[in-house]
Amino acid sequence: MMSDLLFYGLVTTLVLLSLLAVSLPNLLHGAIALIGSFFATAALYIMLQLEFVALSQIMLYIGGIIIFMLIIILLTSGLGQENRYMVKGRRRAAGAGVSALLLIGLLLTISQPSETLQKATLRAAPVTMDDIGFRLMATNKNGFIIPFEIISILLLVALVGAVVIARRDNGQEQES
Amino acid sequence: MTLIHFVVLSLTLCAIGVYGVLTRRNLIGILLSVEVILNGANINFAAFAHFRASDPAAGAIFPIFVMAVSGCEMAVALAIIISMYRRKKRLDVYKLEELNG
Repeated sequence: MMSDLLFYGLVTTLVLLSLLAVSLPNLLHGAIALIGSFFATAALYIMLQLEFVALSQIMLYIGGIIIFMLIIILLTSGLGQENRYMVKGRRRAAGAGVSALLLIGLLLTISQPSETLQKATLRAAPVTMDDIGFRLMATNKNGFIIPFEIISILLLVALVGAVVIARRDNGQEQES
Repeated sequence: MTLIHFVVLSLTLCAIGVYGVLTRRNLIGILLSVEVILNGANINFAAFAHFRASDPAAGAIFPIFVMAVSGCEMAVALAIIISMYRRKKRLDVYKLEELNG
């Protein structure tokens, strides 16, 4: 099956790039690996016939959040050289152990899935962009208008708050 | 390509992100790992929306809210990190102990 091959290739790319993103010593390289993993995720969304989610993944995550992150890295640490904070091998092994335990536990939890979960290959009708737009703005009991408006206020508050926090205070509150 | 594949994939991404949160020493590195966890959660939502949903549009809308909240989080984190860097000149989480009890 062609699509299965594509799926496994994308999954391998995604997992490898995510591993690189969390383990590369240079944060700039990690953020670039994260860009690659988000592109692979967008490709997976397209395989799931969710084009709108794929587009907003590329626009919001890659065009917005990762750019934010690259700006933070470049502003703070001199081209992302964070090698001076060396992580000890023992701590690295402990982290790997804890996350492996978590993964094994979670996999055991779903290792006995119900029949419906296991056989879930039947597709719902693909969601069109029209559907998503109407549902976001619908005011009936299935609509998402209230979360939508709350998100817009939250974004405004977060941006104003970010400006207030990052503003250089005039030397009065520099205690340390 | 069934639902169970996607669930396993998102659990793997969650574990990778937890590993990053536990081992990174830099504040920005921890934020980056949290993005990996959120990515896994979004994949889960999308997969359930595609394979088994009586209401697939809701499953497609929720990742978008997650992305918006994640954008807010990054904006506030940018501000906090910049002001902290201005005071301390470092972002090592082992050295940031001001909020210790």
